[in-house]
Amino acid sequence: MTEPQTGRVEIDDLVIRFKGKQGPVTALERTRHVLEPGTFTALIGPSGCGKSTLMNAIAGFVTPAEGQVRLDGQTITGPSSDVGVIFQQYALFPWFTALSNVRYGLKQFGLSKREEIDRARAALAEVGLEAHADKYPQQLSGGMKQRVAIARTFAVGPKVLLMDEPFGALDAQTRLIMHDLLLDIWRKHRATVLFVTHDVDEALLLADHVQVMSHAPGRLIRHYPLTQPRPRALSRSGNELLEIREEILGLLHPKSTHADPLI
Amino acid sequence: MAVSDRARPTARFAQMLSAGAAAGLPLVSFAFILGIWSAVGLSGVVNEAIFPAPWSVWSATVEMWQNGTLQKDLAKSLGRAGTGFAIGATLGVVLGLLTGRVALVRTLLNPFLNLLRPIPAIALVPVAIVWFGIGEGSKYFVVSYTVFLTVWFNTHHGMEYVPDIYMRASRSLGASRLREFVTVVLPAAAPHIFAGIRLGVALAFLSLVAAELSGASSGIGFRLQEARQYVRTDRMFSLLIILGILGAVTDLIVHRIGKKLVHWEQG
Ligand SMILES: Nc1ncnc2c1ncn2[C@@H]1O[C@H](COP(=O)(O)OP(=O)(O)O)[C@@H](O)[C@H]1O
Ligand SMILES: [Mg+2]
Repeated sequence: MTEPQTGRVEIDDLVIRFKGKQGPVTALERTRHVLEPGTFTALIGPSGCGKSTLMNAIAGFVTPAEGQVRLDGQTITGPSSDVGVIFQQYALFPWFTALSNVRYGLKQFGLSKREEIDRARAALAEVGLEAHADKYPQQLSGGMKQRVAIARTFAVGPKVLLMDEPFGALDAQTRLIMHDLLLDIWRKHRATVLFVTHDVDEALLLADHVQVMSHAPGRLIRHYPLTQPRPRALSRSGNELLEIREEILGLLHPKSTHADPLI
Repeated sequence: MAVSDRARPTARFAQMLSAGAAAGLPLVSFAFILGIWSAVGLSGVVNEAIFPAPWSVWSATVEMWQNGTLQKDLAKSLGRAGTGFAIGATLGVVLGLLTGRVALVRTLLNPFLNLLRPIPAIALVPVAIVWFGIGEGSKYFVVSYTVFLTVWFNTHHGMEYVPDIYMRASRSLGASRLREFVTVVLPAAAPHIFAGIRLGVALAFLSLVAAELSGASSGIGFRLQEARQYVRTDRMFSLLIILGILGAVTDLIVHRIGKKLVHWEQG
């Protein structure tokens, strides 16, 4: 596996504001950060602190009030297939089958129909859904829908992958399966991943870097680099991950005794 | 469910019964009304010339069929409604797509179109007659105008309700604007467009009869008007019932087609 050279995201003094009833409201406080190519960063923070807003800025969905986001030196001015996005609500097109959903992104490459279908099928096979290629999203479970969305996004070869609480709507069992699947595919494609979650354990199981955000208006307040080999399990990883876990919970719930998992 | 339906024949029978009842329910209603109507007719308390009994209406229908006017009127009216609908619906969809997507067109047209919407079709008939005479032109105009406004309105709003997340997904997948329009915006708006088309079909009949009631020499609406002159309430009732059946059947057909085309929508 060669180290990828592309997919470097520079968040450069970025500030995002929205129009509120009483003037502009800051959704993201001045943020400066770099996502190195091929790394997996988990972003965690209290609800409403600006996680989605930061992600939307990198995706090119919202325009910065100040600063900018650059991808490999180029300022991001709008969405492109270099930056893939996985939404919690899947965002599959219900009028298309799973296969057609994947083909939708491939159209831009002007492949022959044969090749386009082959590549879409291969992408679905990668997420274990080749048998469900002709089903419509409504016929698939939540986990399967998210697999189609992952296949659809990776099929266009994004340099950066943004995931906004992608497994938040799934049950615990399915979530664990999706973790393995995501790590597998990410190892093959090596995009730079930014993964928003409110589940501390999920962040610790998946990421190279965990970034913690402050209460709104949010900014990055803490960084934990994780070097533990994957697959990880919090129970047998020694005390280090558990210590970090306690610390993060403490940051997120400064006053409470953080005994219960945060949501 | 622990017990299968096979193991409980009574439950299965009950299920069949209720399914059958559901399908036959409208018939029960019709039979009920027909029963009351017949009873009123038999009792003789109302004047037959003002409120005809079911059998009189039936023989009036047979009479109109046998002298050939019913077939001719039906063909004329359906032709006018169909033509007017086709023109109005096409214009409505096209303009709805434009006002939904192009800010300039929206700014230029929406306030004006919204001002036109409350004007009832029947109020247009005099203008239509002056412009197009009492021939086919005025009927096409009144029907297509009415259908157009409804279909335009629904199409326009359907375009507004295209979920943002679809557009975001589409653009992050690198789709061109044209592909996005044809394969994301249109299907996402399709349920609304179809709702408009269904309304348009109903309004096509409504406005057509309004147009035929004054200034026509054929068609169901004209025949109603003629029946008034001869005080033939039996014919009027017959024509009204035919209009009702015609409207209900076309609505059912349009609904079925819509459900097939917009297959991903539930319910
Ligand atoms: N489109 C928008 N318009 C106005 N305010 C917004 C918009 N999107 C987000 N916000 C506000 O920005 C803040 C951060 O929101 P968000 O990024 O969604 O938080 P998080 O994802 O961390 O829960 C919130 O106060 C939210 O109400
Ligand atoms: Mg969010």
